[in-house]
Amino acid sequence: MLPLTYALRNLFRDKSRLAQTVGGSALVVLLVMAATALNSGMAEVLSASGSPRNAILIGAGSEESIQRSEVSAQLGGIAEVGIPGVSTILGTPAVSTEIHYMSFLETAGGGKGQGLFRGVTPKALLVHPEVRIMEGTFPRAGEVMVGKLAWRKLGLPQEALRPGKTVKLDGSEMTVSGVFAAPGTVMESEIWTVLGDLYMLAQRDTVSCVVLRMETSDDFSEVDLFSQQRLDLELAALRETDYYAALSSFYKPLRVMTWITAGLVAAGAVFGGFNTLYAAFASRIRELATLQAIGFGRVAVFFSLVQESVIACLGGTLLASAAAMVLLDGRTIPFSIGAFTVTISPQVAVTGLVTGVLLGIFGSIPPAIRCLRPSLPRALRS
Amino acid sequence: MISCKAITKSYTKGANTVTPLENLSLKVPRGEFLALMGPSGSGKTTLLNLISGIDTPTSGSLEIDGEDIARFSRKQLTSWRARKVGYIFQLYHLIPVLTAFENVELPLLITSLSRAERRKKAEEALDLVGLSGRSDHTPGELSGGQEQRVAIARALVADPALLVADEPTGDLDRESATHILGLLRSLSREHGKTIVMVTHDARAAAAADRALHLEKGKLLTTDPNLTVA
Ligand SMILES: Nc1ncnc2c1ncn2[C@@H]1O[C@H](COP(=O)(O)OP(=O)(O)O)[C@@H](O)[C@H]1O
Ligand SMILES: [Mg+2]
Repeated sequence: MLPLTYALRNLFRDKSRLAQTVGGSALVVLLVMAATALNSGMAEVLSASGSPRNAILIGAGSEESIQRSEVSAQLGGIAEVGIPGVSTILGTPAVSTEIHYMSFLETAGGGKGQGLFRGVTPKALLVHPEVRIMEGTFPRAGEVMVGKLAWRKLGLPQEALRPGKTVKLDGSEMTVSGVFAAPGTVMESEIWTVLGDLYMLAQRDTVSCVVLRMETSDDFSEVDLFSQQRLDLELAALRETDYYAALSSFYKPLRVMTWITAGLVAAGAVFGGFNTLYAAFASRIRELATLQAIGFGRVAVFFSLVQESVIACLGGTLLASAAAMVLLDGRTIPFSIGAFTVTISPQVAVTGLVTGVLLGIFGSIPPAIRCLRPSLPRALRS
Repeated sequence: MISCKAITKSYTKGANTVTPLENLSLKVPRGEFLALMGPSGSGKTTLLNLISGIDTPTSGSLEIDGEDIARFSRKQLTSWRARKVGYIFQLYHLIPVLTAFENVELPLLITSLSRAERRKKAEEALDLVGLSGRSDHTPGELSGGQEQRVAIARALVADPALLVADEPTGDLDRESATHILGLLRSLSREHGKTIVMVTHDARAAAAADRALHLEKGKLLTTDPNLTVA
């Protein structure tokens, strides 16, 4: 076996080649880490947004989008008495009648952004226990309560959405009453108003859905049964988790795109790497033959070449990890219905590391084989 | 020590075949310092490569120290070389990123010797070629003659019975060449090494016990009694 110092010192024989290998692998690893972090961040926020105990009653045919659904404003009351197994908190059934409405919010400063508005009653807090009011109060008529990340989703300055600030919703002035957290869910980027205000603003007399919190996740069957028996109401019953899972799969093409992009860049880098490494190895074909003449096996020499490439790519991985921590970690990324926070988690780091090692191995195998192919007498002559 | 019987080596390049060595027989007794002479392209390097297990003959038998290496597999040849042969090249072929000491230690990394034993042997070998003061220098920091001495130390550090040298003085000034030839001669006389050296230079051949002339792949004379003054 050739010493590690041999591989290590060979790296520094040509600094510009080293820079190419390290830089190229860093770029690929950074892209793969970014793709992993973005995709898992989005998937996580969507999967965490649904509670297995929650069921949604929605208009039949609108299962894909709550915003498009219309059900009777009386549905909440009917469901409350008609469905067994609904959880009660201090005697109040956990049934929340909601309007989900996509629209624009304007700040006093003139900024404008699109976001999801949810018209609710205080019972929403029974159904969505992860919601915690951090500052201010639950909204009354003429007020909005904003999620902690709403400013990010709307693309507005955080300051403009502080409690007490005035905002405009479809032309109507409203006051921010408070800020709430709902860690890891899309709700955290929503704007909540009282249900009554949204009837007017959205110009409707129906609601979007009724969300029920059941005693156990098995009680969903009761909600399903109800939707099938009350054909007159034209309802569909959905588990909240299934709703968000469907949304998540809606973004699948987007995720596939990020992977294709990362894959294409990686492929380009690997082919670039072939050339760089081939040039590096080919410049010492005679030396590689000398090592074999001395008695090192071809496999030992091959292994040293691969080792050399892996070390360079690990350097790139280190660089990429540092860049990911500085550029990506903790960043909030808005998407159509919410925002999520990018985390360079241990899984993301491991994915980057594996990418770096694989890049080092597969980038060096073809050039190493090519440079070790000539017969010893011929290589010694060159 | 070396016994070649009717060895032929030919290379096929597309349609035509080149035969650098044809039906050549040669015996070299243990401890002999043999010089191989001949014009360029006469097959000297080819013969040296066969004797040292870098290449295999197309036909014929090639017995070295009682083993017919013509039958060895590639893998067997590799480990045989590590144990039995030391190489000295015209252009030294030192590893530029390693120090003189590390270059000399290289063949010992294939053995099971401990680190301390390797250090001791490598230092002894460097001492033998008179370069113990240069162990930390890289090849780039040494003169040609010094590089070749490091190469000789590397060739003999694992204590092989056979040393082969392909024009070892071909790239050196006369003073360095004399030094190198003196070294080879003492390795043969005092350490009992069998040495086969290819050379163009009659002066170099004079340092050997015997000189043989190759021409177009054949030995001009095989008379073991003919020696070059
Ligand atoms: N690998 C090879 N393929 C084809 N021809 C070769 C090869 N090696 C050597 N030869 C030919 O064999 C002949 C002898 O070469 P060589 O042994 O290097 O001669 P010398 O060392 O005496 O100058 C030359 O004509 C050379 O072109
Ligand atoms: Mg030659």
